[in-house]
Amino acid sequence: MEVDSSLCLRCGACVSICPVDAIEATDSYVRPNERCTDCGACRKICPVGAIK
Amino acid sequence: MHGLRRVPENLSGRGDKVMEDKYDVVVVGAGPAGSTAAYSAAKNGARVLMVDRRRELGVPVQCGEAIAEDILNELGIKPDRRWAVNRTNAVKIVSPSGIEIRISEKKVTGKVGYVLNRKVFDKFLAVRAVKAGAEAMIGSYVNGLVFKNGRIGGIRGVGLDGKFEVAADVVIAADGVGSRVARWAGLNTALRFDDIETCAQFQMVGVDFESLSMLEFYLGSRISPGGYAWVFPKGDDLANVGLGVLGSRAERRPIEYLRDFVSRMPGLSKGKIVEVNVGGVPVCGPIEETVGDSLMVVGDAARQVNPLTGGGIDSAMRAGTIAGEVAAKAVEEGDTSKERLKEYERRWKEAMGKRLTRYLKAKEILLGLSDGELDKLAEVLRGVKFDRISLTDMLKVLVKANPKLLWKLRGLL
Ligand SMILES: Cc1cc2nc3c(=O)[nH]c(=O)nc-3n(C[C@H](O)[C@H](O)[C@H](O)COP(=O)(O)OP(=O)(O)OC[C@H]3O[C@@H](n4cnc5c(N)ncnc54)[C@H](O)[C@@H]3O)c2cc1C
Ligand code: SF4
Ligand code: SF4
Repeated sequence: MEVDSSLCLRCGACVSICPVDAIEATDSYVRPNERCTDCGACRKICPVGAIK
Repeated sequence: MHGLRRVPENLSGRGDKVMEDKYDVVVVGAGPAGSTAAYSAAKNGARVLMVDRRRELGVPVQCGEAIAEDILNELGIKPDRRWAVNRTNAVKIVSPSGIEIRISEKKVTGKVGYVLNRKVFDKFLAVRAVKAGAEAMIGSYVNGLVFKNGRIGGIRGVGLDGKFEVAADVVIAADGVGSRVARWAGLNTALRFDDIETCAQFQMVGVDFESLSMLEFYLGSRISPGGYAWVFPKGDDLANVGLGVLGSRAERRPIEYLRDFVSRMPGLSKGKIVEVNVGGVPVCGPIEETVGDSLMVVGDAARQVNPLTGGGIDSAMRAGTIAGEVAAKAVEEGDTSKERLKEYERRWKEAMGKRLTRYLKAKEILLGLSDGELDKLAEVLRGVKFDRISLTDMLKVLVKANPKLLWKLRGLL
């Protein structure tokens, strides 16, 4: 799973839905860490479709 | 119990740049929940540090910015034109087929609300905390808790000067919808798809709306399944136009639903978009357990949002204020155990637990209604003259007109 940083507005919706707390969200970037199981939940919830 | 993911107690041996310090209370997040918590902890004598990853508080905006005056009165905060940019006293609710219900508060004695400028408001609340004696670390991302003998003893993160670690007697998790702090402490706050409204909003200029003092709500599965669209006026021809879609019912991105909504509304489609905001709103009702040893969870992190309206600024400020006070008192008494911190849980439940449960129930009932059923209810309410904006008043009218509804609405009245 990858976040398109030109679309992401750092809203945190993906972080709240991730079942395994695998998303780091700073003021500059949002990205999954090694715990990501590629379940796709974040992709589905992202309001702007920034997660590919 | 808390030893889920321990980190070494002292990281300084690794050659990282570590700012060591100790506070009575560390607040993670400087939104409405965090800033009110930091303020009230500092006011009650605690040494407080408030940490936020944002370099500019309140930015990006993730909010429709509507608030009722009650919370400002409760906390003795005087509305200021710099952040309370528009005063409202009426609502319009539009049913799926376009039936309009208008409700105004009584002119003089009625309640008012405000449309805020969150960029200024969030900063104002943070400054209020700092002026009360709290310290603030802005642009600092908290990426873990520090555990000491299996119990929360502080936080660690990365800031403008590199890595840092701060010890604390109490950590207050005010880190918003995407909260991780509570999860690190072992509370599972992960949302499911029917727990969250996924939202998009345009700030638009050059738009028409009915009245500057009226908040508009639009219902319907075509507009926003499992949610609603809103038009909140901010100035002469300026408004927040947004919508939320229930995660489990969304077939498209909220931003696509919003484009459709705007294009179908003549008063809006001629406007220009000057800001795009998105976000998630937890609508599952508050989490049951909001304290642990040395830990309190407040605001969106604790899902203390009105599940029907999605409004969470007021609850966040109410909970934050209580949490800060309890934290300071607990530290002073030398007992920051879960048992001691439960005073916070008892008090926030007293202040708003019942109300949030009732709105949760109302939301669940609404979600069970078809567009046609919503239209029928709107038909009943259309002609009625209400003199205040009240869910109870509306329900009473509905049940009177249609006694069969009673079983569905029981428990709400
Ligand atoms: C589109 C939309 C419209 C809304 N409209 C309204 C409305 O009209 N009225 C209303 O009352 N409510 C509304 N809400 C809800 C409202 O915005 C929230 O309830 C409110 O902001 C909650 O405040 P908070 O302090 O709990 O969280 P937030 O305001 O989200 O603040 C959390 C803070 O924590 C910081 N943070 C998070 N993680 C970390 C970390 N790891 N390290 C450091 N800092 C961190 C963030 O940067 C942020 O500043 C809306 C929400 C959305 C998404
Ligand atoms: S949900 Fe989408 S826009 Fe929001 S932080 Fe995640 S990737 Fe960015
Ligand atoms: S794909 Fe699933 S596990 Fe990976 S970051 Fe997204 S929500 Fe988390």
